[in-house]
Amino acid sequence: MSRNRQLFLMVVIALAFVFQMSVLPQFKLLGVQPDLILVVAIVVAVQDGPIAGAVVGFAGGMLQDMVSPQVMGVSALTKTLAAFLAGVMKDVFMTYSILLPVLLVFFLTFFELLLNQGVLVVLGQEKLVPVKAGLLFAAALYNVLAVLVIYPLLRRFRFPDKEESLLLTRKA
Amino acid sequence: MPAAPRTNRNRIILIMIIIVCVTVVTLYVRESDRGPLHRVQDFFLDMVSPVSSAFAKIFRPIKDGFVNLFHLPSLSKERADLQKEVAQLRTERIASREVVAENQELKELLKWQQTQAELETVGTDIIGQSPDNWQRLMIVSKGSSSGIKKYMGVATEEGLVGRIISVGSRSSVVQLITDSRSGVGARDQRSRETGIVEGRNEEVIRFVPMREDADVRPGDIIETSGLGGTVPPGIVIGRVSEVKKRSSGLARFVEVKPFVRFSKLDKVLVIITPEPESVILKEAQ
Repeated sequence: MSRNRQLFLMVVIALAFVFQMSVLPQFKLLGVQPDLILVVAIVVAVQDGPIAGAVVGFAGGMLQDMVSPQVMGVSALTKTLAAFLAGVMKDVFMTYSILLPVLLVFFLTFFELLLNQGVLVVLGQEKLVPVKAGLLFAAALYNVLAVLVIYPLLRRFRFPDKEESLLLTRKA
Repeated sequence: MPAAPRTNRNRIILIMIIIVCVTVVTLYVRESDRGPLHRVQDFFLDMVSPVSSAFAKIFRPIKDGFVNLFHLPSLSKERADLQKEVAQLRTERIASREVVAENQELKELLKWQQTQAELETVGTDIIGQSPDNWQRLMIVSKGSSSGIKKYMGVATEEGLVGRIISVGSRSSVVQLITDSRSGVGARDQRSRETGIVEGRNEEVIRFVPMREDADVRPGDIIETSGLGGTVPPGIVIGRVSEVKKRSSGLARFVEVKPFVRFSKLDKVLVIITPEPESVILKEAQ
């Protein structure tokens, strides 16, 4: 990954965090809002590989944990694992279709939430409550809407390094 | 085989991230509420709260305007100038309505505060909401510098809102009574049966009476019992909407509809109680 891409992703994480904290709670639909940080981490994992996604998931999750009164590190952990899984899936399926990130975001929203709640229950911080499928489904759909915007946007700013540029020129 | 070292490196990075996360989680859970990680959280909350407050103020009229415009019949392109004027007037009207509503709300809060003369309270604005979908929290614009402490109750003239669970110097986090981790000592106003009101991350909360055969009926008003020492007794919580009975006929689940309309809250009162945290600690011991 080029240095420009790294800087770009740092700005994207910061913006996603500010939006997540300040703007999105004002625009809840059916009581839910998209999890932009999770969506960005999954998209980065698909575009730049599992480790890049895991690092973005960790950074974004940790920022979220720092301003939330829940146990620090839990969101960082679950978002890291969700993004890493997304990157691994991308390596398995080897496709550049937007359908892959859409499906990954849809299913990994369920995965991330259940893991998050599971960890909190194990730590004794959360009561075991019945999972509301409707709420989960709405959140997953909202995240899918977000990925339709974020995926092309992040793909537009690839900033290929010298080797990649050379390869692309040769291919052309 | 050029990919092998890279794969190993990736594996090491992932393992390191997981170790960092697990370490942070462990340290956080084991430390006290005044530990370094909790302080970091409070510090960041203070840092973020002015930004949240600004965005909330910016986006509230836009959101309201958007909703209103959504309901307006569509206008033709030739009347674009007129449409702009209408939108501008509408925004102004929304702004003035907001001022009137705010005025009314403040008057009601003041009236309620006067009727609850024995309670010392601090009025505060709501500047943010839970950043995720799985907690029912609100961020308010006052913190320890205004005398707010952890576990203090939060109310409006409509009834109990929740309690403070995290305090920064200029902001605090309120756990709503609808949050699944919330539990408040409560009683039936008519029969005086005591119990606990628990949140379930839904609009409706649940009253769990101490006695299984407790006399609780639909329509009864549930209020705080004062047991626990953090929230004073007599603050209304909600009305019993349904009593689900077991086959033996004993009352088991009592559903309560809160009086407070959480989606419309702008301002709340924090009830100042002396050393609420020590009461909780004493109970835990």
